[in-house]
Amino acid sequence: MDIGIIIAGLLTLAIYTFLYRDNPIYRAAEHWLIGLTIGYAMVVFWQTTLVDLLILPLFAGGKYILVVPLILGLLMFSRFSGRFSWLSRLPIAFMIGTGAGVAIPAMLYARTLKQLSSSVAPLIAEDGGFNIEVVVVAVGLLTTLAYFYFSREHKGAMGKMAKVGTYFLMIFFGATFGYTVMSRMSTFIGRIDFLLTDFLRLLG
Amino acid sequence: MRTRIPLLICLISGVIMFAQYFSRHPVARSIFNNVNEWWQIIFAFTLFVGVMAFAKTSLKKINRSQDSIYQIISLAGLILMPLLAIIGGTKIGSPFLWIFESMIAPMQATVFSLLAFFVASASYRGFRARSVPAAILLVTALIVLIGRIPLSDVLSESLPKLAFWIRDYPSMAARRAILIGIGLGSMTTALRVILGIERTYLRGE
Amino acid sequence: MSKLSTRWIIYAGLAAVVILAYITSIQLDTRPSPQVQKAYNYFENLPESTIIMISFDHEASSLPEIQPITLAILRHAFRRNLRIIGLSLFAEGTAIGYRFMTRVAEEFGKEYGRDYVFLGFKPQHISAILGMGESIIRVFPEDYLGYPADSLPLMRQVYNYNEIEMVISIADGDRGIQWIEYAGAGYNQSIMCGLTAAMVTSYDPYIASGQLYCTVGGLAGAAEYENLFGKKGAGNRGLLAQSMAHIYVIILILIGNVVYFKSRRRRNSGP
Repeated sequence: MDIGIIIAGLLTLAIYTFLYRDNPIYRAAEHWLIGLTIGYAMVVFWQTTLVDLLILPLFAGGKYILVVPLILGLLMFSRFSGRFSWLSRLPIAFMIGTGAGVAIPAMLYARTLKQLSSSVAPLIAEDGGFNIEVVVVAVGLLTTLAYFYFSREHKGAMGKMAKVGTYFLMIFFGATFGYTVMSRMSTFIGRIDFLLTDFLRLLG
Repeated sequence: MRTRIPLLICLISGVIMFAQYFSRHPVARSIFNNVNEWWQIIFAFTLFVGVMAFAKTSLKKINRSQDSIYQIISLAGLILMPLLAIIGGTKIGSPFLWIFESMIAPMQATVFSLLAFFVASASYRGFRARSVPAAILLVTALIVLIGRIPLSDVLSESLPKLAFWIRDYPSMAARRAILIGIGLGSMTTALRVILGIERTYLRGE
Repeated sequence: MSKLSTRWIIYAGLAAVVILAYITSIQLDTRPSPQVQKAYNYFENLPESTIIMISFDHEASSLPEIQPITLAILRHAFRRNLRIIGLSLFAEGTAIGYRFMTRVAEEFGKEYGRDYVFLGFKPQHISAILGMGESIIRVFPEDYLGYPADSLPLMRQVYNYNEIEMVISIADGDRGIQWIEYAGAGYNQSIMCGLTAAMVTSYDPYIASGQLYCTVGGLAGAAEYENLFGKKGAGNRGLLAQSMAHIYVIILILIGNVVYFKSRRRRNSGP
């Protein structure tokens, strides 16, 4: 048997010991995973971004404008110095500003306008039938938005709308729970497949 | 100066990235491409800052003899991966990738699979129809759980259709409302950040 | 019964149900859901040599669910002689994605560089998605293997999203949503998603609004796709175990509620 499969199997069982209770075997495996994952990410980030987009173009390609992100990136490390830690605000401000700038049109169009516009749909279909679903979506949308509107007390008509909104939210959470159970079980089934087929070789 | 310069940088970068959405002019595209590239590069540095912080915390704990052995195990893993990458490269067949496939991937999948047990336990202990909303949540979950398995056809052909209908209409409507709320909130927060009204990112050095 | 022993009984019961169901190699028949049928029809109707992009936006933790979906889509795409540009916006998806692509490409005798390419990973996903709308090679000057991207025959025919017919994001989180919000909204790029089941309801509004073409969700979705494709795999193998696990959870919920209502009645009718 492949040594990799043996190691994978033993580490899998080490993690599953947590189901009994927290124990040194599980904790050791967990910390080993944390260290390896961070190390892996470090290598991947270095190779795919710092080398590809910074070091090679700057030092081998003569793209000197890249000195700016290099300096800003190095300033991130100033947060470990007591006196100069404020310098780390500069690259953080750049990243936050950039992210905020691209987010505005994306949120406005994709999450707000497009979603609102697609809620406005014909009640009568082409074949003359009544689209009850359009009513369901419209009622669900408006009542759930009413629930999240906290600038006004949920009393009277507003209160009733918010209550209906709660019911729609419960439907959403119930559906999400159902699908989440599906997802978690699938992950467990995958590990059982590995243990029975590859590790213990009980199945073909 | 310690606050003004970062706020100015935030304003300029935010306005540039917002404005680029409305211009196809070559100069605008060029500025956008450069800023976008810088964003990618500076972001990569943040991981290394995190790694340094993690190493610093682990070493402190080792000095204080707090869970020393576990901290040493983490640090060993942290050092091992770059070492292997330097020695043996990172492509298929390398020790670096072997560790990923034999240790990282299986362990991560296993940690995630623990949730199956917790979900089962929570289903027994926490999932009670205490009130009307709770009952609605419960019934919906049951319909979806039954409706999405092939055996549901044995009970009724309508069950899978009902499960899909719930997902496509009432559930989707609630999710859409949440999305719109998040969208509006994100936009206002982004505007506040660019205009310097929201400054929480300047704290915590 | 103490809380601890109840917990262990529940855990042991789940493990027993899943293992027994898995060992029983009964294959269940599934009818394709509308979303999966739509995804399948899309690939069936694409002309040969169309260029698509597959983004492996997931972690290793969701591999048991993601793998069947990914393999089914890749097999279908290669069978239809589509050309695929692969990449990842998650560090762990990089090695996994490359493995999947090369494994399936080998099955169909596809040539790297001409029929498919794997570009690798970029950490700042929004920046990468936006950047590819202008120039893919600028974001990925080299591919995953270290070759200059513009030296690859496939990449010489692709400049930005204009040459990409569809982006398929295989995601276990909200990366697919970011594809929709940035590539879809900013560059009118068509997006399709392969998702873990837990994320499926979060993407429904985008399907309803037309911003997302369709989704293939979870192990059940993978099994349905495999049946349409004609090659059963991990999706179908796990279907009985999945069904039994669902029934087990349903029974737990019902028993839990029966116990709750009985004890409530006892408390209400107490001395």
